[in-house]
Amino acid sequence: MFLKSLLVAVWAGIAGIDLFDGLTHIHRPVFTGMIVGLILGDLKTGLITGATLEFVWMGAVPLAGAQPPNVVIGGIIGSAFAILTKQDPQVAVGIAVPFAVAVQGAITLIFTIFSPVMHKADKYAQEADTKGIERINYLGMLTLFIFYAIIAFLPIYFGAESAQKVVEIMPAWLIKGLEVAGGMMPAIGFAMLLKIMLKKEYVAFLIVGFILAAYLHLPILAIALVGVSIALYDYFTNKSREGQVIRRGARTDGI
Amino acid sequence: MESSYSYTDTNIDKVISKRDLNKMTWRSLFLQASFNYERMQGCGWLYGLIPGLKKIHKNKEDLSNSMSMHMEFFNTHPFLVTFIMGIVIAMEERKESPDTIRAIKVATMGPLGGIGDALFWMTLLPISAGIGASMAMQGNIAGPFVFLIMFNVVHFALRFGLMNYGYNTGVKATESLKTNTQSISRAASILGLTVVGGLIASFINLSTKIVIRTEGNEVILQELLDSQVMPKLLPLAYALLMYRLLKKDFSPVMLIFITVVIGVLGHLIGML
Repeated sequence: MFLKSLLVAVWAGIAGIDLFDGLTHIHRPVFTGMIVGLILGDLKTGLITGATLEFVWMGAVPLAGAQPPNVVIGGIIGSAFAILTKQDPQVAVGIAVPFAVAVQGAITLIFTIFSPVMHKADKYAQEADTKGIERINYLGMLTLFIFYAIIAFLPIYFGAESAQKVVEIMPAWLIKGLEVAGGMMPAIGFAMLLKIMLKKEYVAFLIVGFILAAYLHLPILAIALVGVSIALYDYFTNKSREGQVIRRGARTDGI
Repeated sequence: MESSYSYTDTNIDKVISKRDLNKMTWRSLFLQASFNYERMQGCGWLYGLIPGLKKIHKNKEDLSNSMSMHMEFFNTHPFLVTFIMGIVIAMEERKESPDTIRAIKVATMGPLGGIGDALFWMTLLPISAGIGASMAMQGNIAGPFVFLIMFNVVHFALRFGLMNYGYNTGVKATESLKTNTQSISRAASILGLTVVGGLIASFINLSTKIVIRTEGNEVILQELLDSQVMPKLLPLAYALLMYRLLKKDFSPVMLIFITVVIGVLGHLIGML
């Protein structure tokens, strides 16, 4: 069992990286179910449970950057439990989803903890140290690998029931609260952009963009096109004004 | 960063080859390797550009300036990022000012997000995974592979195609616009800030659950805010608060910590 748990853990680590980097989608339940089935020696149950979980997660994609319950752990733990406990694939869904929600909460914490590392990266950028920047990115992927591997290893090695108890210990208010905080996080990124880009003369355009989205519910592409229109108008107005100045200058020279 | 500084070495040489573009396309797969709440994809984005930047900026000072700018906040759709990479590399090659390049990055990252969601999450994934999973459901082992092949043919064709398309677009655009950098930088900033205004209203999720009860009447505060005051008031207020705090030299890490505390406590007492 130890070796099998370890193999599932390694697979979870690889799939966990693929969810964010690589994006070949070997991390989807329809594929991971098959691999877990192969490792645990029941290919057919793995295939069917994976497919069942695939349909559960069909709509749960990171739309507009909002993270759904973790599809990697959901798919792997779900299929592993279906095989190990000989349960119906539907029951596996009931175990997989709360697990996946809890794991997504933990991912929020990883993204928070990794923020201070960016100051090290700033230093590397300033020193034009490309190797340093590369190291930080490899470190990020290594962190994800270890995290997913541990999360997948423990419940499979120690059994389904004990794992479910651990999930129940993590209170719902904390998981939901972390989700609320995750929704607010983009404000910090936008504020950093504003700090760099915003000047008094540009405030008007910020307001226009906000109104188009908040009141008129325009998609971002439409808002960008409005921005392009204003920018083009501004550019050519400036250009023709400069042109006039030059022409007037030429005439005075003539006289 | 008030002034629009440009590079010390402003010689324009064509140094980026097709091989370099392909190399950067492969590296674009690691866009989210160091994802975090402060810069999101910023550091992974820089990782992808490194081979190009090293070739373009031969002196250390310029490379350092360029790298520092690309370390800033960046977030777009991970499948379509190569389009922006292509444009940006073309602009770097033409030694456009970092201010202009930044504004183009910011203006393109939002719209691509919407397009990518529609293309990948709402179309390609449901179709390919639907076909693959319905085969697997019957116990057919070909199912998972049919899914992977269908998905990745489109995925990689777009990834490589968009890098070249973005680069060619960038080269043409910068050639025709080279005349007046000041006006271009200004126009790009206008575009960028219009988009940021839209992003604030679209991508910050913050609403209140407070219900005010008075003599049998129930007023749901969020509905009142949306209809009587202003939609998306709370996301705007929170973004402006973060902006004010940044200007007061609060570090982004501190702001992330504050946000986690507000989110968890706010939810616990039933406000959020």
